[in-house]
Amino acid sequence: MGKSSKDKRDLYYRRAKEEGWRARSAFKLLQLNQEFNLFDGITRVVDLCAAPGSWSQVLSRELQGKNAKIVAVDLQPMTPIDGVTTIQADITHPNTLQTILDIFAGEQADFVCSDGAPDVTGLHDLDEYIQAQLILSALQLTTCLLKPGGTFVAKIFRGRDIDLLYSQLSYLFERVICAKPRASRGTSLEAFIVCLGYKPRPGWNPKLDLQTSTEEFFEGADIGKAGNLEHFELPDDEERKIAKFVACGDINDVDSDATY
Amino acid sequence: FAPLHHYGPVTALKIYKNYVLAGYGPILKIYQMTQGDLLDVAEVFCKQVFSRNKIHHIEITSQGRLCLSGARSFMVLDLEEVLQGKGNFKERAINEWIVTCAFYENWLLILNSHNVVYKVDLASFEFDKVHCQEKSILYSGSIQVLDNGTVYVAAGTVMSGVIIWDLHSRKIVHNLTDHEGSIFGVKVDKTGKYIVSCSDDRSIKLYDFASGTVLATGWGHGSRIWTLEFFKGDNVKIMSTGEDCSLRLWQYQEGNSQLVQLEMVENCHSGKHIWSGDVDDLEYQVCVTGGADGRIKLHDLNKVNRTEYSLQEISSQTGLVFGKKDFIRDYFELKDRLIVLISNGDLVEYSDNSFKTIAFNDQHKLKDFAIVKGFSDINIVIIAARNGDLLIADFTSDLPQLSWIQDEYLGSNKLTNLLVYSTDNKYYVLVDVPNPNIPFILREFDSSFNLVNVTQLSQPNQTSFTTTDMVVDSVNNWLVIASRYVTIAAYDLSTTSMALFKKLSPGDTITSVQIITSKTNELALLILVKDGSYLYTTLTLSTTFHLDVTHANKLTKGFIEGGYIKSNKLVLYGFKSSYFYIWNETCQFEIMNELCGGSHRQWKLAPSKFIYVKDKTTLVIRNIAHRFVNDGLIHLGTHGREIRDVAVSPDGKLLVSASEDATIAVSQLEDGVKGIWSMNNHISGLQRVKFLNSEYMASSAANEEFIIWKVTQSNIPLVKEFVRLKPSAVENPDLRIMNFASIELESNVFILVTVYSNSNIKIWRIDLNKEHYGDMVKLLVNDFYTTCCILNVELLQKDDKTWLMIGATDGYVTIWDVTSKLDPEEHKLGASIIHQQLHQNGVKAMEVFTHQDGYRLITGGDDNALVVCDLQVPDLKLDIVGYEESAASATITSISVVGEHKFVTTSVDQIVRIWEYNEGLTCLSARYTTIADTGCSASMGSTIYIGGAGLSSWKVNNL
Ligand SMILES: C[S@@+](CC[C@H](N)C(=O)[O-])C[C@H]1O[C@@H](n2cnc3c(N)ncnc32)[C@H](O)[C@@H]1O
Repeated sequence: MGKSSKDKRDLYYRRAKEEGWRARSAFKLLQLNQEFNLFDGITRVVDLCAAPGSWSQVLSRELQGKNAKIVAVDLQPMTPIDGVTTIQADITHPNTLQTILDIFAGEQADFVCSDGAPDVTGLHDLDEYIQAQLILSALQLTTCLLKPGGTFVAKIFRGRDIDLLYSQLSYLFERVICAKPRASRGTSLEAFIVCLGYKPRPGWNPKLDLQTSTEEFFEGADIGKAGNLEHFELPDDEERKIAKFVACGDINDVDSDATY
Repeated sequence: FAPLHHYGPVTALKIYKNYVLAGYGPILKIYQMTQGDLLDVAEVFCKQVFSRNKIHHIEITSQGRLCLSGARSFMVLDLEEVLQGKGNFKERAINEWIVTCAFYENWLLILNSHNVVYKVDLASFEFDKVHCQEKSILYSGSIQVLDNGTVYVAAGTVMSGVIIWDLHSRKIVHNLTDHEGSIFGVKVDKTGKYIVSCSDDRSIKLYDFASGTVLATGWGHGSRIWTLEFFKGDNVKIMSTGEDCSLRLWQYQEGNSQLVQLEMVENCHSGKHIWSGDVDDLEYQVCVTGGADGRIKLHDLNKVNRTEYSLQEISSQTGLVFGKKDFIRDYFELKDRLIVLISNGDLVEYSDNSFKTIAFNDQHKLKDFAIVKGFSDINIVIIAARNGDLLIADFTSDLPQLSWIQDEYLGSNKLTNLLVYSTDNKYYVLVDVPNPNIPFILREFDSSFNLVNVTQLSQPNQTSFTTTDMVVDSVNNWLVIASRYVTIAAYDLSTTSMALFKKLSPGDTITSVQIITSKTNELALLILVKDGSYLYTTLTLSTTFHLDVTHANKLTKGFIEGGYIKSNKLVLYGFKSSYFYIWNETCQFEIMNELCGGSHRQWKLAPSKFIYVKDKTTLVIRNIAHRFVNDGLIHLGTHGREIRDVAVSPDGKLLVSASEDATIAVSQLEDGVKGIWSMNNHISGLQRVKFLNSEYMASSAANEEFIIWKVTQSNIPLVKEFVRLKPSAVENPDLRIMNFASIELESNVFILVTVYSNSNIKIWRIDLNKEHYGDMVKLLVNDFYTTCCILNVELLQKDDKTWLMIGATDGYVTIWDVTSKLDPEEHKLGASIIHQQLHQNGVKAMEVFTHQDGYRLITGGDDNALVVCDLQVPDLKLDIVGYEESAASATITSISVVGEHKFVTTSVDQIVRIWEYNEGLTCLSARYTTIADTGCSASMGSTIYIGGAGLSSWKVNNL
């Protein structure tokens, strides 16, 4: 079954067309907002892995008239959206993060989101690793840019070791929730981490250095992430934590697994 | 609680001397090659060496120093020690993804995914980090240590770049941007003259190392390419494998901007992805490949031996003169020679690479028409003429003896077919004419080819019974003749009575019929149909003949012209477009193929030769080199795509699995999981497979496909589609039958319920004892739950009461009393008696079993929660008695009961957990499984089978 026929069976796809969203993903962000009031009082936001741009559309609409700053980044080119600064770049490259920081010029952001998904190869562990790298890069930017108390939202694929990420995030945020919008198919492993209330690590000054990798960047953060051990011993199992799961969107909302 | 068997992606392969080293996920397997008459490959070592990570890379020095690496793990070993059972399997790790490893003097070089090399002192494990300033994220990479001590790192980035840098100077030598998309493979050859890379864009590029310019590009792979290897002795030859399951060999020819594809092997593996491979062009002349299907397979690098002879060549060797329009009519291969008939009636003999003439009388009889057949074991060739005369050529002695048998039976009718068969030192020859009033003439010869007997058998009373093949069963003295329209005629030769069995399957001509086994009054026959169908049938005789089809499947590969069963494996051959192929159907791989132009030509398959005629006048003899034991199959695999469901037969002998590749695999559970059949009847993505009782199983899929299969247990299990439910009137390819449940009312009479992705619920009464669909299948209830997708269903029956229970994507479990709805009248479900939300969203797994007087229900959700409920009879009150909010860190996908109070859950976090419910819910044990996308399970006694991206079996102790 081709991807296109799968998309067509989905009512969200048709609704997105009707309502003028560039992708059905818009409903995922809208449903997340319904549950968590993500957009309350935010004006400066970063939308990572944003193409074709439906999240940026939602953000641009929500923040209209608030003198907002919206920066959207993707590997793919994006058709311009009113009030959104778009950058075509790889978010795992430190230079990209620097570019974003430069645009904010010392100001902090209220909200960082990433809906990134790599091209899957089919080798599950490699795909999970690349996905984790997208999240870590987004998190790296977040720790450099987000104001205390701010919100970070990112797409995850729930597979092995997702509990390691939950655990690491819980050091940096007051609440970490695994949210599944009804617009996201139940048959897919996709979900979103909603991280509320950013609390910078005491004693850690996150500073972007173009020469450090994301792993090295977090080495001083003390967030329960294993570093290299002397003589490369296999680390003890790292800290794991299961984030609270919340299904969001109205239960009477359209079921994205159903056939119409 | 320990793993027993594991089948899954083969993530790394290396040929070293006479060993093949395989990274079978986290397991290291070592095979030894032994060259006898055939090259044999036997497993000499097998051990899980990494606790969780898969071995993605194997590096070995000429002294046998070995490094395994994958994900964050690596391990340094000595091959000799490993083989002597003395290895020190110490798993080590870095905190980043390892792309590759290499040895350099006394260091181990580890390239990580940020383009940084750890230079590790192998004595002290002290290390330095070396990089070239450019820290892009890598999808691929390799390290080449040249003889002069130079070390090059080749790095493949996400955004179309190949970076080559020098480890010592830390300088970037090249940044090659000729590809588009992520780079999935890059290597420098060991002389440092060439670079080769592949990417998302499906091409292979070979560069001149000195200048960094592209020398040649190779196009051909249908999708992404995962592995590239330079040949060891010839660095302008390259091997590649990829997502399209093909293995390709390429050669660079100076001045040609295209890499020339030398050889291609398609379908080396099932499903998608060849993840690993290696080549040895120095000693064994082999390639080895490993797929997502868990199979490891050898391929022959030797050039195919093919000889061609034109009529002209035959003419100049023999001195015979052929006309312009003459062509090669037919031929037959004997043990040491090939007998060839030319259209003008000349007969020539080919042996020891040369042709000579065979002189005989009455050549003109063979001028316009002739059929050549024979018996190679007794050196007899038979040539039939149009008028029914048979020329017998005996090649037992040096000088061939030729004689004619004059026809006495056909009158003025013209012979159209000549069939031969031998069994038990009896040699049968049958001639056929189109006139149905003229009997078939069956002549029996002894082993000195003296005519013993002539039997006249009246033709079936049917127009155009065109004969295509025959067998004679010596146990019962029966003759079976195959024909078009999948029709066979069975004759009892003692009485000459006959029975006709028409249209055994859809399709046209039976191309071959063969005896599988024979005992008194019972003959098992293999019937091969041109359209790709193959049938196992049983012919019995009481007062009349009776034929029962026990197995039916259809190849998607191409047309079938013939086949055989060899050591319990079914081998089929035929044509696919311009190719001739030989295919091992049991193990699902191609044995050979030949681009010969297609089936519209004269061709014959001998045990070690495929002989065909090109352009009517050129004879091509293509040798089939059987170089390997088992045709090079080193390790048997399973599905090449995710497994969606598994089920074990009630007697515990069979495992059935349903996969995303739309096939149902039937395997024998006997020292592991041995694949027997891969059934192709479904065309849509599968959802579920279950046994209805010991004789029938059923499977459901998208496009409303629902098939009930009949399973016959015998030496090898046989399976056929018995009936399929007709879909709703409106065709909707996306409408999936998500699940089903059944209860057996009386022998082979069932109440069946099917649930759909559009909330539809249908209850059926199925009577498999009936013959016609209308009597067999009755729809009792056709109703809708809501509009959401239903994921699970159960039927419960106790004391004259029947309940229907579903679990859906809305998180609710709903129960109806359907007792009054089971007589044959279309009903609606009416009000439910229970409608309770147990999960936040999808009820992904649901198991019900009897408990005390009522039932116990266990559900697992997309919300990570596990819920235990008790259901009291008679009113079926539901009580939640156990709840674990975070029973897994991701979606719970299946639940299997393994003992009185115990059950196993699988979840996509790749942890298998055993739970006990006894006054409270406790997790007794949790273990990591190497099967990713863990999606389904089935239990039989204390064994659990787990499916996902692979298949594994586990033993639960202390039940
Ligand atoms: C699901 S789409 C995002 C949809 C988007 N939120 C919307 O609503 O239109 C995922 C995106 O991640 C982007 N992506 C993947 N890897 C990336 C990387 N390394 N840097 C930047 N973008 C990346 C892809 O190009 C793709 O456009």
